[in-house]
Amino acid sequence: MNTLNVQLFDLTTLLFGGASGTYIAAMYGKKETLARIGTWICAAAAVISTIALGVRWAESYKMGIGRIPVTNLYESLVFFAWSVNLFYLFVEWRYKNRTLGAFVIPIAFLTMLFAFTNESGIQPLVPALQSYWLHAHVITCFVGYAAFAVSAGVAVMYLLKAKREDAKAEGGVVGLFPSAKALDDLVYRSIIWGFPFLTAGIITGAAWANYAWGTYWSWDPKETWSLIVWLVYAAFLHARITRGWHGRRAAILSIVGFLATIMCYLGVNLVLSGLHSYGS
Amino acid sequence: METASEARTERASATVERERTKPVATRIWNFLISIKLAIWIIILLAVTSILGTVIQQNQPPETYRKVYEDWAYFLMDRINLFDMYHSLWFLFLLSLFALNLACCTIDRLPRTIRNIRNPRLTLDGAAEKTLPLAERWKNKGDVSQWAETYRSVLRRTFAAPKVTEADGSVHLYAEKGACSRFGAYVTHAGIVIVFIGAIVGNVFGFKSYVNIPDGGEASHLDARGGKEHIDLPYSVRNNRFWLETYPSGQPKKYASDLSVIENGREVLRKTITVNDPLVYKGVWFYQSSYGQERGATAQVAVNRQDGTSLDSLSLRPNEPVNIDGYGVVRGANYEPDYQGNGPALQLVIEKPGRPASDIWILQGRPDLDRRRKDSLVFSFGGLTAKMYTGLQVAKDPGVNVVWLGCLLLTAGMMISFFVSHRRVWIRLSPGPNGKVEVAAAGSANRNRSAFEKTFASILAEIRNDLTKKEKENPA
Repeated sequence: MNTLNVQLFDLTTLLFGGASGTYIAAMYGKKETLARIGTWICAAAAVISTIALGVRWAESYKMGIGRIPVTNLYESLVFFAWSVNLFYLFVEWRYKNRTLGAFVIPIAFLTMLFAFTNESGIQPLVPALQSYWLHAHVITCFVGYAAFAVSAGVAVMYLLKAKREDAKAEGGVVGLFPSAKALDDLVYRSIIWGFPFLTAGIITGAAWANYAWGTYWSWDPKETWSLIVWLVYAAFLHARITRGWHGRRAAILSIVGFLATIMCYLGVNLVLSGLHSYGS
Repeated sequence: METASEARTERASATVERERTKPVATRIWNFLISIKLAIWIIILLAVTSILGTVIQQNQPPETYRKVYEDWAYFLMDRINLFDMYHSLWFLFLLSLFALNLACCTIDRLPRTIRNIRNPRLTLDGAAEKTLPLAERWKNKGDVSQWAETYRSVLRRTFAAPKVTEADGSVHLYAEKGACSRFGAYVTHAGIVIVFIGAIVGNVFGFKSYVNIPDGGEASHLDARGGKEHIDLPYSVRNNRFWLETYPSGQPKKYASDLSVIENGREVLRKTITVNDPLVYKGVWFYQSSYGQERGATAQVAVNRQDGTSLDSLSLRPNEPVNIDGYGVVRGANYEPDYQGNGPALQLVIEKPGRPASDIWILQGRPDLDRRRKDSLVFSFGGLTAKMYTGLQVAKDPGVNVVWLGCLLLTAGMMISFFVSHRRVWIRLSPGPNGKVEVAAAGSANRNRSAFEKTFASILAEIRNDLTKKEKENPA
C-alpha cells in the first residue's frame, strides 16, 4: 500500500501523460483549445506534485527522519520532473506559445515513468547528506537541469522548423511553431538561465564537499561529469557570442549538452560508481 | 566582451596588420589569444575528462590487470590513464586553458577599457549605416533648441546624454549598462583565481587522516600523497566517540568529542559530526569514519575462593598478564557461542614450575570456575571493543582564494548574460529651409529584441514632445 505522497506522484504521472498527449494532439490537430487544456493539465500537475513533495517532506518528519525529499533516485526524478514542468510553464507564459509543450512535457512524463519503476519508499539519510548545503546544492543543480531540458526540447523544434523554412514549405504541424529565429533565441535564453544555476550547483557542491571532507574537488565521476556539462555549455556560449554560431550548429550543441546532462544526472549513478550513490 | 560583428571588423583590421610581418612570437601570440584555441581546449578538456570517469582512477595495479591485456595495461599506465587528472598532459591542458584566458584578457581588456572610457560620441553617416536601429526625421526650428529638448527627454526616459558639437551638428550620446562589457573578464579572472587557489592549496596545504581510539591522543598524522607524515605542534584527544543508528541499523549520526591540547593545556573542545568539523589554526578536522580497534580486550574478573574481589583484568589477545603470587594468564581464544553456551574465553594459565593449563570460562556462568578448586576464580565479563574515530585532517590555505574565484565567476556570468550595454545616439544638423535634420540610432550587445522596444519607446517619447512643441509654437 503506497503512502499518500506516492499516490499523488502517480496522479502527477498520469497528468503529465495526459498533458503530453493533449499538446501533441493539439499540434497535429491544430486545435488551440486542446493546447489550452494541456496548459491547465500542466498547471494542475504543478499544484499536485508540489503538494506531493510537501506531503512527502511531512511524512519523512513523521517517520523521524525528516529531510527535504531529494535524496534518492525516486525523489530526485520526481523533483526533476517538477522543475522541468515549472520552468516550462514559465517559458510558455513568457513566450506565449503552446507548441513547445509537445516537446518539453514528454521529458517530464518519461522522467515520471522512470521514477515509477524505482523504489519509492522514504529511506533514512546517511550522515554525509545531513547538511543544509543539500538544499542549495540540489535546487540549483535541478533548475539548471530543467533549463537545459527545455533548451534541448526547443532545439529539436528548431531543427524541424529550420528544415521546413529552408524548403520554403508552409503549413503542416511545424508551421505552427514559432519562427526559427524565435526558437533559436529561446535555445540560447534557456541556456543563459541554466548555466549560472549549474555553476552555482557545482560551487555549492564543492563548498559542501569541502565542509564534509576537506576537499572541494576530488575528480569523482559526478563532479567530473558536471564539469563536462559545464564545458559543453561554455563552448556553446563562446561559439555563439564571439563566433556568431546560430541556428543548426547551436541547436545541435544544445542537444549534445543535454545528453551530457543526462549522463551527469543519471548515467553516472547507474553506470559508474562514486560519491553520489543514490543509483545503487 | 565584444559581439560577433564588432569583433570581426576589429579583428580583421588587426589581422591584416599582423599578417604583413609575421615573426614567430607574433604567431604564437595570435595562437594564444584566439577564441578558436579556447573552444578547442574546452572540447579537449571535456572529451579527455570522460576517460577518467570510465576508467576507475587510482586502483591498485592488480585491479587493472584483471580487466586489461598486458599491452593495454602498459600503454595506459604509460600515459597515466590510471591517475589522469594529475598527469602531466592533463595539467598541461589546464595550464594552456589558464594561459589562453590570461592572454585573451591582456589582448582585449585594454581595448575594452579604452572603448568604454572614450565612447563614440558622434554619429556619422558610416556609423549610422552599420548600427542595427536607425531613424531619420526633420523638424522645424533651431538646432540648439531641439538639442536641449532631446537632451531632457533622453535624460528622463533613458540616461543623461553627453553633448558634443562637431561640424555645425550637435550630437547626443547616452548609454546604460556599460559594465556588461566587463562581465566576461570578471568570469575569466574568476577561473584563473580558482586555479591559483588550487595551486596554493596543493603547495602549502596538506590532506591526511588519523584514527584515534576512545580516550587516545594523536599529533602524528599519516599523509596522503607526497609527504610521508605530518607532525602537528599540538595534539588532538578523542574524549569520546559515539554512534547513533536508525532502527534498521543504518548509521544515523556519529560524533567525536575532541579536545585540542597545546603545551599540556586544553585550548579548544568541540564535538564534531559529519558536516560539522573542528578548526584549529587553519587545520580542519573532519569526522570521516569510525571503526573498532583491532584486538578487542576481554574483561576478566579475578576473585578469591571466598568470593572477595582481587582484581579485574583487561586481556588483549595473547598478551600475558602477571598475577602476583599466582602466575601468568593470557586470553588465547574467543568463541561467540561455545558449545551452545554463549560467549566464552579460553584462558591459558601458567604457574611457575608447572605445565601450562587452559580453561574455557563462560560469560553466562560466572561461578563455573569454582569447580576447579584453585586459589583464584576467573569469570569472563565479555569482550569490549574500543571504538576509534577516523578523522580527515586538512589544511588548505588556498581555499578562500578558490571561493573568491567562484564568486567572481558567478557574478561575472550574471553581468555578462543579463546586463546589456545599450547606446543611443542622436544627431541634429541644420538642413535647408530652416529645418533641423535629425538622425537617431541605437545598439545593444545583449537581448536586442528587448532593446528594440526600449528604442521605439524613446523615439515615441521624442516624437510625442515634437508634436506637443509644434502645437505650442505653430510655425
